Amino acid sequence: MKILMKIPIMLLLLAAMVTATIKAAPTSAEKSVVRVNTTMQAFNLIQPWQKSAPSSRLGLGAVLPGGRVLVTAQMVTDATYIELEKADTAAKAIAKVVAVDYEANLAVLQPVSDAQFLADRVPFELADKLQPGDKVEAWQFENNGTPVTTEIKVSKAEVGRYFLDSSMFLTVRANGTVQYRSGSFTLPVAKDRQLAGLLVSYSSKDQVSSILPASIISHFLKDLEDGEYAGFPNLGIGYSQTLDEQFRKYLKLSEEKGGIYINEVVPGASAAAAGLKAGDVILDIDGNPIDARGNYDHPVWGKLSLSHLVRGKPFTGDNLQVGILRNGKKQLISLKLIRRPAEDWLIDPYMFDRGPKFAVVGGLVFQELTLPFLKLFGNDWKNRAPIKLLMANANPEMYEKQGRRKLVLMVRAIPTPATLGYEKLSTLIVTKFNGKAINDIKDLHEASLNPEGNQHRIEFESYPKLIFVDVNLAARVDAALEQRFGIIRRLD
Amino acid sequence: MKPITSLPVPTIAALTLFAISSSALPAKDTKKSNQYEAVVRIENSSLNPDYRTPWNSGRDSGGNGTGWLVAPNKFVTNAHVVSNSRIVYIKKVGDAKPYRAKILHIAHDCDLAMLELEDPSAFEGVEPFEVGELPQLDTTVKVIGYPIGGERISITSGVVSRIDFLSYSHSAVDLHLTVQIDAAINPGNSGGPVLQNGKVVGVAFQGYSGNVAQNTGYMIPPPVIRRFLKDIEDGQYDHYVDLTMSEFTLLNPAQRAALGLANDGIGIMVANAEADGSAGGILKTGDVLMAIDGLPVKSNGLINYEGEDVNMNEIVERKFAGDVINLKIWREQKLVSAKVTLKRFLPYLITAKQYDKKPRYVMFAGLVFQPMDRNLMTAHNIKDLQVRYHYDAYVSDSIYKERPEVIVLTSILPDSINSYFSSFSQSIVDEVNGTKIKTLKDIHSALGKSDGDFITIRLLGQGRPLVIDRSRVAAAQKRIQEKYNVIRDHYLEEQ
Repeated sequence: MKILMKIPIMLLLLAAMVTATIKAAPTSAEKSVVRVNTTMQAFNLIQPWQKSAPSSRLGLGAVLPGGRVLVTAQMVTDATYIELEKADTAAKAIAKVVAVDYEANLAVLQPVSDAQFLADRVPFELADKLQPGDKVEAWQFENNGTPVTTEIKVSKAEVGRYFLDSSMFLTVRANGTVQYRSGSFTLPVAKDRQLAGLLVSYSSKDQVSSILPASIISHFLKDLEDGEYAGFPNLGIGYSQTLDEQFRKYLKLSEEKGGIYINEVVPGASAAAAGLKAGDVILDIDGNPIDARGNYDHPVWGKLSLSHLVRGKPFTGDNLQVGILRNGKKQLISLKLIRRPAEDWLIDPYMFDRGPKFAVVGGLVFQELTLPFLKLFGNDWKNRAPIKLLMANANPEMYEKQGRRKLVLMVRAIPTPATLGYEKLSTLIVTKFNGKAINDIKDLHEASLNPEGNQHRIEFESYPKLIFVDVNLAARVDAALEQRFGIIRRLD
Repeated sequence: MKPITSLPVPTIAALTLFAISSSALPAKDTKKSNQYEAVVRIENSSLNPDYRTPWNSGRDSGGNGTGWLVAPNKFVTNAHVVSNSRIVYIKKVGDAKPYRAKILHIAHDCDLAMLELEDPSAFEGVEPFEVGELPQLDTTVKVIGYPIGGERISITSGVVSRIDFLSYSHSAVDLHLTVQIDAAINPGNSGGPVLQNGKVVGVAFQGYSGNVAQNTGYMIPPPVIRRFLKDIEDGQYDHYVDLTMSEFTLLNPAQRAALGLANDGIGIMVANAEADGSAGGILKTGDVLMAIDGLPVKSNGLINYEGEDVNMNEIVERKFAGDVINLKIWREQKLVSAKVTLKRFLPYLITAKQYDKKPRYVMFAGLVFQPMDRNLMTAHNIKDLQVRYHYDAYVSDSIYKERPEVIVLTSILPDSINSYFSSFSQSIVDEVNGTKIKTLKDIHSALGKSDGDFITIRLLGQGRPLVIDRSRVAAAQKRIQEKYNVIRDHYLEEQ
C-alpha cells in the first residue's frame, strides 16, 4: 500500500517540471482508454468493527474486448464504488470488479449500470512482444479530455515486486520523462497502438517507469477465459545462491556451472508435492540451465530470475521438468505446478476487500494475526512489532506443526467492568479458551459459547498465561458494545 | 528480585549514574574540615573491554565518586564507581595525597562495593559512620560528596520524597528498595553518604537527568546496605536470591471467583515459576500466593512490613542463599503450605549489564563467535530476529535449558576463506558438524576436531549451512591473526 500513497505526491512534484515529449495524440487513445474513478474504504485493523474514512483514487483503464476494462488491482482494492468515465464526453457508468488478482496486481471491470456503455469504444489488442529499445507510449488525458501521449524507451526487464512483498513478477523498465496529468493512477502503455502494459510506478529522480508487461496481462486474461481463475502458480521454495567455491565443492557441484540450493520447501506447495527437499540443488528447469545466482538466460531480456520460468509462461496445472542434484547424483523430476492460496498461510500475507476476522468477548478483542496487522507497527515494524509475533511470521511452521490454521491474538482489552485489571494486556497469542485449543477465530467463538462455569477461562502462550472473565457480565458488556459498534464479531 | 517477562518495570533508560567519567587533579585543600573526614573522594582508573574486538585489552578510562568509612579501614561506595577497575585511589578531606586502595567486595546486583587502603594509617582515629534506619517520608537528609561544580566537599539537603521498589540501573535487571530524595545529587555524588542525625541512611547512586525529571535523586536505603554488609561478613559476596516467579494482580472479580477466592483483596496469582529457579516445581501457573512468611499478600503484590506497604519481594530481598521462606498457597480450592529454599538464578545475568569480566570468544577462519549477553547485544547492535528472540525470551521461554549459552557469530574478519559468508553474520550457531552447540567451549572443541574435509556450521534462521574447506583453515587462521592483530584466537575462561 505504501507505493500507492507515494504516487500522488510525485504528481505534485512533477507538475513543476516541464520537460516532455508530448505529441499530438493518436485518435485511438480517447477511444481505448477510460477514466476509472474509485472510492475505497479499508477496514480498520485496530477497531475491526469499523472502516476507515473513505478516500478516492482517479486512474485510467484499458478497454478490452467484450465490454471490459483492465486496471491494476491497486485501483480497486477495498473499493466501495467504481465509476467508468469517458474522457471525451464525461459520460459515466457504474462498474463492478469481475476478476482480481492482488498478487499479479491486475483486475477486470465491467459496467453494470449500462451494459452498452463501452459499445462506442475501440478495445485494445495485446502487443505480443516487447524488447529492449522498443519505443512505447504512455497514454493519458488532459483535464479537458484531450489525449496526451508520452514516449518512453524500454531498457530492460527484471523480476520484481508489484505491490505485495510476497509475490515477484516480470517488470519492464523504460526510460524517459513522464509528465503525469491528474487522474493518472496507472497509465496504459501502447506499442503500435496495441496494449504493451500498464505503467505502475514512475521514479521522478531517475526517470524510470516500471511497466507491468502484456505477457503477464495475457497470462491473467487467458486464465480467466474458462470462467474459473486458477491464479499464477508458485514453486514454494526458499533458496540460496551457490557462488561460494567451498560450498560448491561440499555439494559436489564443482563439475556443474550453476545451480541453486534449496533451503526449505513450503508444505503443500508445488515443490514439496513433487518431492523436492531442502538440500537439493536445482540445476535446470524445462531445459533452461539455472546459474549460481538463480537466474536463467531469457532470449529477449537476458538474465532473469528462475521464478519467471515458473509463473511467466506456465499455468497452474502444467508440468515442469526440474533437473536436480541430490546427494551428488543428478535426477530429473516432473513437477506439477499448483498454487498455494494465500488463505492457507498461517499468517495472511494480505487482506483486501474483507474485514479482519475478530470476536469481542466481554471487551477483550480477539483477532487472527495477519501481515497487515504486523505492519501497523510502522515502517520499522520488523524491529518494533512484538518479538513473538515476528517469530511466528518468520517461522510459521512452529505453529503449523501443532495443527494451527491461524494464530488468534488477544489484541487488546477495551476497558469494561468485565476486563477490570486486564487493561494493559495486549497482543497475546491465545492457546486455549474454556479448555479448547484455539486454531482460528471460529474455534474461539465456539469455545466462548461453552463456558464450563460462570467464568470464561482464557489461556495465553506468555505472561500472564491465564485470565478469567465473568460469563454473565461479558454477555451484558458485549450487548452494550454491539449497540455501540454495530458488530462485535466477523468470523468469515 | 528481577523482572521476568513483561511485568511493568520502571523505565530505566533515563536513569543516570552519578559517577564522573573524566577526572582532573584537585587543587590542594588547605583547611581541615574534620566533621567530614570519613567522607572520601574515590578516583578510579578503569579498563573497559570492547566486545567488538574481544581479543584487545580494552579502552582506558576513569572517573570519580564518593565513599565513606563504615568501619576501620573499610570504605563503602557504589559498585559503578569502581567497576572494571585497574587502579583505585582514595583521597581524604584536606589531604592532597592519593592513597592506593583495593576492592574487597563488589556487588553489581545492588550497586555497592567495599574498599580497603593498603596503608590505613592516614585514617587512624577517624570515626566511622553508623548505619541508621530507613528514614521516614518528609524528613530532612543531607547528601555529602564530591560532585561536579568544584573540587572540594559539597553538602546539599532535602527531604525523603518517596520509598519504592525500583530498578537499579547499574545492572539494569535488579530491583530493590530505593528511596527518592529531593536534595541535589549530581555526578560525583555516587557512593556518598546521605545523613540523618549523623547516621548514614542512604548511599546516593542514581537519578534522572534534568531534562527528564527535576529534583529526583535516589539513594540505596539501609536495608540494602545492611544486607550487603552482612553478606560479606564471611569474606565473600554471595549475591541476591530470587523467588524466580512472575505474578499477576488479582483485581478482576471473575478471576478471583474462578480461583475460588473471596473478594477480600488478598492473594496474587502465579503466572509462571521458572523451572530452574527457587520456586520451580513448587509454584505453578494459577496458584495464588496468599501469604509470605506469615504476612498476607495483597492482590496488588504488596505486604505490610515494618509498618510500610512494600513489595512482597522485600521478604526475599533480606534473605540469603539457603534461607527458607514459608508460603501459603491457594491451590485448587485448598490452602496449602510450602517451603522454598532460596537460591540465586543465573540465567538473569544474560540480560544484565556485566562488569569486571573479560569478553569470551572464539575466532575461527575470521568468524568471531561470542556468547550472547547484554554487553554483546549493546556492542554489536544486533538486528537478527533469532538473536533478539533468544535474548528477550531467554528466561521466559526457558531457553537457558536448551542452550546454557547462546553462541552468536557476531562478526567476520574478511579474508578469502570467508568472502561469501557476510550474510551469516549476527546469527546463532545451532550445530557444528552435527554437534549441538550449547556453550562456547562446545564450539571451540567442535571446530578443533579434525575429521572430514569440511566444517559445516548450521545457524538458526539461515537456509543453508556455512561450509569451510578444512584444508584451507590453518593458513587462513595464521594470516587473519597477523592481519587483524588477533593475539589469541580464543578466550574461554569464566571468571
